[in-house]
Amino acid sequence: MRLWWKLTVASLKMFLRQKEAIIWTLLLPLFMVFLFGFVSFEGLEKIRIGVAGGKDESAERLAGRLGEVRTVQVTRGAESSEVEQLTAGKRHLVLVLPEEFDAAKGTALRVLVNDGAPEETQLGLLILRKVLDDDTFGMHSAPDRVPMTLQPVAARRSSYIDFLLPGVLSLAIMQSGIFGVAFGFVSLRKRGVLRRLSVTPMRPQDFIAAQVTMRLMVLLAQIVVLVGVGIVFFDLQFMGRLLDLFAMGLLGGAVFLAIGFFLAGIARTEDQVVPLANVVSLPMMLLSGVFFSRSNLPEAVRLVTEFFPLTYLADGMRSIVLEGATLPSLWLQAAGLGLWSIVSIWAAVKVFRWE
Amino acid sequence: MSSVILAVDNLCKRYGDLVAVDRVSFSVHRQEIFGILGPNGAGKTSTLEMIETLRPIDAGTVVLDGLDVGRHPRQVQQRIGVQLQSASFFQKLDLKELLLLLGELYGRPVDPMQLLGEVDLQDRAKAQVEQLSGGQQQRFSIAASLVNDPLLVFLDEPTTGLDPQARRHLWGVIRRIRSEGKTVVLTTHYMEEAEELCDRVAIMDRGRIVADAPPRNLIGDLLASGFKKERVERLANLEDVFLHLTGHALQEE
Repeated sequence: MRLWWKLTVASLKMFLRQKEAIIWTLLLPLFMVFLFGFVSFEGLEKIRIGVAGGKDESAERLAGRLGEVRTVQVTRGAESSEVEQLTAGKRHLVLVLPEEFDAAKGTALRVLVNDGAPEETQLGLLILRKVLDDDTFGMHSAPDRVPMTLQPVAARRSSYIDFLLPGVLSLAIMQSGIFGVAFGFVSLRKRGVLRRLSVTPMRPQDFIAAQVTMRLMVLLAQIVVLVGVGIVFFDLQFMGRLLDLFAMGLLGGAVFLAIGFFLAGIARTEDQVVPLANVVSLPMMLLSGVFFSRSNLPEAVRLVTEFFPLTYLADGMRSIVLEGATLPSLWLQAAGLGLWSIVSIWAAVKVFRWE
Repeated sequence: MSSVILAVDNLCKRYGDLVAVDRVSFSVHRQEIFGILGPNGAGKTSTLEMIETLRPIDAGTVVLDGLDVGRHPRQVQQRIGVQLQSASFFQKLDLKELLLLLGELYGRPVDPMQLLGEVDLQDRAKAQVEQLSGGQQQRFSIAASLVNDPLLVFLDEPTTGLDPQARRHLWGVIRRIRSEGKTVVLTTHYMEEAEELCDRVAIMDRGRIVADAPPRNLIGDLLASGFKKERVERLANLEDVFLHLTGHALQEE
């Protein structure tokens, strides 16, 4: 126990004195958050308009015409469910049509406006106005514009940073797990440090335990720092509990550390580590929904990426941050990561080489 | 307490078809400086590594301080100090921290400054290994092999690649270790080093020991057999010139 602790402290010391390590584990993810956080990608987002009520043909025609606008994504639903989506920040506008909507008759429209997304709602209202005008001016019998009454709704402000930060956090956990362990361990082996240790009574498992402990401590620090920076600088809406993030992070850490040890087992030199680690991490980095939602992926690809460990981790972290989910409700992600950790620990043990 | 601290009997090591160590037997007495000499590839390192518990023993036995190395590797590890040929230490820790950490691996407290003093490195306590010169690195490596206060210290080519001053400095350190009651087993391919430093040498060639005696006896036997050097021995050689010009006294490299 004492040995484990002393080794952990020494490993932590070595880690903290390594400038590159700090850059990779903390500064790079922070840089990503700052970069993507300030360069707003929200303009790329579609404006989501819910259309509720209105049973007749003209209502359908309006919804259809709105849907033809490229930047608009229209959903049809009951008023209650659409309002619920709006409050959750998943709609920008909800258009409530009267039972019998007739643009020609000048029936007033009620529009519920998402309070938290001014840019999107402004643009959405302009588009809506235009579509309505086109519709009514096409008919000679309509003398006036269709009146709209706006009704602001306090909605959860969901910004890109809320989406991005848990993703980048998961990415950082993956990268420092895979690269840190694989590269560090191969380098210790290559330089003969492990060999020197093996003439002492220390057992390899003592050393591995300390390494893993150190990495997991770094992982918790990554969570605290990134979430902290998000809250302080980006007004991150952190809905969940830190404890759940820790638990989910540790589960992910187990998978990625084991993958790191697996790669350290099959790579002979440091030069072989980087391409190997890239082969494993790049697809996940790009396809696991770290930067952009996976819903835009082609169906087949999306289905495959469903099972990536980083997808489980990023989805889990995101649900905790955005929705305040707790671990029991994220059983799917937890089980996915659990399964991955069993498989990767097994594989790591299988190929493990001290010398 | 037997005067023999290490008894090697019919030790063998094979790598595929290559017989690296072929029925090697020798014994080392307490407080001796014992040298294993031989050209590269003679099997010196393989022999040492089997004794040091680093390599499985294919055949034969090694008894160290009464313990069978093959059967009690842990107890043997507690009794030996090892300096490896191409091993290094953790980066980013200074010498003092490294020695303390190594002490933890043996589960014993360490006085790092005393150990560093032993190898004349007190003033580099805060330095990291990669900041040291070659000779200093070797001396630190020896200090590291002393953290567990071993009975027997193994030094694998400790002076290879060092300049003459650094080499002489190291000889002084090795003699000091012996004077503290420890036994030293070292390998070298420098003959003058073996002659100067070792009480007894075993000469290895192609995996076998071809001679085992004090250097003086080996030379005496050779001369007694009627051997004569073709060239007349000069009274000084180039190394003497070099040392004379650059200062005989120890220089901190």
